[in-house]
Amino acid sequence: MMNDQSIRLDRMRFTKNTTSSRLVLLAILFDAIYFVSLYKINVEYYYNMMMGASILYNLVFMLAAFLASEGVKNYKQGYSWVLCLLGAIQIVRIFIWPVHAHATSVTVAGQELLAMNNGQFVRAVIYLVASAVCLIVAAAVNLTKSRALKAHIAGLEGQKA
Amino acid sequence: MAQLSLQHIDKIYDNNVQAVYDFNIDIKDGELIVLVGPSGCGKSTTLRMVAGLEDISRGNLLLDGRDITRAPAKDRDMAMVFQNYALYGHMTIYENMAFSLLLRKEDPNVIHKKVLAAADILGLTSQLNKKPSQLSGGQRQRVAMGRSIVRNPKVFLFDEPLSNLDAKLRGATRREILLLHKRLNATMMYVTHDQTEALTLADRIVCMSMGHVQQTGTPLELYDSPNNTFVAGFIGLPPMNFFDVTFENGALYGKGFEVQLSDAEKATLAGYNRKAITLGVRPEDIVEGGSLPVKVFSNENLGMNTLVHGHMGDNIRVTAKLRGWTDYKNGDIVKLGFKRKHFFDKETTNAIRKGDR
Repeated sequence: MMNDQSIRLDRMRFTKNTTSSRLVLLAILFDAIYFVSLYKINVEYYYNMMMGASILYNLVFMLAAFLASEGVKNYKQGYSWVLCLLGAIQIVRIFIWPVHAHATSVTVAGQELLAMNNGQFVRAVIYLVASAVCLIVAAAVNLTKSRALKAHIAGLEGQKA
Repeated sequence: MAQLSLQHIDKIYDNNVQAVYDFNIDIKDGELIVLVGPSGCGKSTTLRMVAGLEDISRGNLLLDGRDITRAPAKDRDMAMVFQNYALYGHMTIYENMAFSLLLRKEDPNVIHKKVLAAADILGLTSQLNKKPSQLSGGQRQRVAMGRSIVRNPKVFLFDEPLSNLDAKLRGATRREILLLHKRLNATMMYVTHDQTEALTLADRIVCMSMGHVQQTGTPLELYDSPNNTFVAGFIGLPPMNFFDVTFENGALYGKGFEVQLSDAEKATLAGYNRKAITLGVRPEDIVEGGSLPVKVFSNENLGMNTLVHGHMGDNIRVTAKLRGWTDYKNGDIVKLGFKRKHFFDKETTNAIRKGDR
């Protein structure tokens, strides 16, 4: 006779890990908002190679995160580490372009202005942090669930044998 | 489980076409009723009215004494299995089976137990993580049944569930439905145009034609004592042979042939002396060694039996289902006899039974 805990575990054999998968999709959404919000800065007067690299990285990020969301949906443990890596990179990104743009002045119509003002900077940081948190939580949830499921399946196979 | 009562049910469409006339039946708890008839006879319409997918124009529908004539489909506590399975292609088998319970916001653990129990009954446990497209037709139909079972409805409704399956699979799935009925002891209504399904599955059969109920009874009653020529011709494969004959001086006279009757048969036809009637004889009630010469034009060996088609008298066509393997050639003359005979009034097409006139 199975108790509620073991039924919950057994359910995972037939249901997807939608919690992790949806968290990753949310992380992609935060990243997209961050990315779009960057264009609000005085881009006509401020451009460097990092901006181009950021565009390319965003494409890579979205692809990798989406693949990982499908992976964690099926309790694949390896994708948890991919998500952790992507989450860490999201934190690191704060210190690359937003910090750089926030510290840089540009001259617009004879006036000296910050390339990225304080409000924009705070919002950019929030979006990246939110994205990173979603990714790391998704990874943690998947790791916990997939390990529990693995143990449960091993137990069932042991019973059969 | 439940008792279902259909009282004077009519279905009239907006264009005044009447599809069902005065349908009456009381279905007992745990009974399997099969509605059988040719296409367009109103059997599926009747089932859809019971399910709540069609409005009932007149009459009452009672479930355990409660009037549900106007109740919406979702409040009727009935589950319907369709011919085309109606599965969600993007969901796994588990998700398909659990879906209706999820919509009802039942506890996921309870849903899990119900789905596993249904899958176990239907032998689908190893298929739960697959998508419907990965399953065979028979397995998909089992999933459709499983989706009904998990709901634990009061009544199961089946609308030609085996029509999409090939002959072999149909036989196997038919046996599964029968076992399922025995196991669940559920009240079921089953629609089919296949009389083999009707005979093998039903506790009682309702035979319909042109919206009218022709006869309701056990499979044996319909086979052995058909009410009229329609039921006699519809139930049984190959269908019953019909001959126009006249009853006179204790014998039947057809075009170029004569059939002698027993005393009991004469007594049955006592009121029809010198009148034209229809004689019905099932192919399996025709035996070799009689007095009627039949000129064979076709010999179909089925293994255990042989279907012999021929003409007797003035080119009257007859089909006999003879036991064993025969090898008659086109033009051979074989002498046949009628073992069991059915008599029908020529005007009303109703069966003539002892004491009718």
